[in-house]
Amino acid sequence: MNSPRQTVRDVDEMLRKALADDLPADVAEGMRVRIDRFRAKRTEDGEAAGGATAWPWFFRRTVWAALSILMLIAGILLQGAKSPSPLADRIASIKAAGSGVEQIRR
Amino acid sequence: MNKAGLLYLVFGSVAAALMGFTVPEIAAAFRQAAGRAGTDASRRRSAHFWEAAARNAWILGALGSALNFTIALGSDSGGISGISGRMVQSLVVMLYGLVLAVVCLIPAMKLAEAGTPAGPAAQGTQAAPARRPAGLVASGRVLGYVLFAATVAATILFLMGGQARGGPLPLNKVLLHGPAILVVFGGAVALALFAGRGVGARALTLGFAMTGVIALLMGLIQALFGFAHTNIKEISSAIAFIITAAAFALLGLVAVAAPLEDREIMDGRRDKAGPFSRLFWVVFPLLTFICLVLTFIMVVTPMTKPGG
Repeated sequence: MNSPRQTVRDVDEMLRKALADDLPADVAEGMRVRIDRFRAKRTEDGEAAGGATAWPWFFRRTVWAALSILMLIAGILLQGAKSPSPLADRIASIKAAGSGVEQIRR
Repeated sequence: MNKAGLLYLVFGSVAAALMGFTVPEIAAAFRQAAGRAGTDASRRRSAHFWEAAARNAWILGALGSALNFTIALGSDSGGISGISGRMVQSLVVMLYGLVLAVVCLIPAMKLAEAGTPAGPAAQGTQAAPARRPAGLVASGRVLGYVLFAATVAATILFLMGGQARGGPLPLNKVLLHGPAILVVFGGAVALALFAGRGVGARALTLGFAMTGVIALLMGLIQALFGFAHTNIKEISSAIAFIITAAAFALLGLVAVAAPLEDREIMDGRRDKAGPFSRLFWVVFPLLTFICLVLTFIMVVTPMTKPGG
């Protein structure tokens, strides 16, 4: 049984023999154009992934992070300042009524 | 018996299932719970559906209690005793949620046991998740969200319609305590962003649950300061903060984070729900319940020396 290294060597040898003659000029030219096109596309894709899409994502992420932290701080400050809220006022009136009832009982 | 709460829970659970799963996935989970055979992979997915259904029922129970509680506080009929009675009744929704969760956990455990590699089910039947048409998934989710919104709106309107005329505050004023909403959504988005994209939907679960816990703690501490200063205004503001923060954190968990985690698992992007997500799904509704009980005690406890 052949080892993997031996198998690779055999395949290399077979390819070398099969492609011993030079390719016709038009076929070689066509291959070169295709390879260049493939390389150019890869480069463009890489640039797009690295630059064009990364920056807007980073920008969006930063904006969202800043907005969310601002919201958090605003919420904490508003709560700390006991900003008027209809629900809180309602609870206050219920508590005040309950306290009044308790004082009358006493 | 709280009929509105029961209906809210049933329809809410159906909507939450549609938000995270497709109709064929739900049908397969029901078939396999009824004893139909399936591959190991499909059994595991069905087990996850039932676990998610139990989770949804538990979280929806807590959310229903918080909403009901808020509406009870906003009502004006029956005086302090009437309001107290309605506040206690609102906690019954949580009990319904727990019962439904236990019912859903039974098929989840049964299928999970049969779906483990060492189980009696056929071995070597690992299959990739079935490819679903994108349109089918999207339409199912839209239907789920519409049904969920309709269920919550109908429940609130029904509960508010039962109050004395002129008593309740307007809907938006009862449910929207601005600072709590800012803290919950700001904190959840910030935590999710800092967790990064690789964490996926688990970041949102962490965000909503952790922000909810922090908000509950903040509110409790503020309320205790209010008692120490005998300041009714401070206590009331803290109570409003606790209830609204709990309601919106639960809403974020059940309507945003949990369906996204379900989709990740059903699409094969994750093997199972994260351990922290599971912990938060169980613990946060329980904390909400404890805080609602404490809130009830704070509301009905009279203060003999009102300050402020």
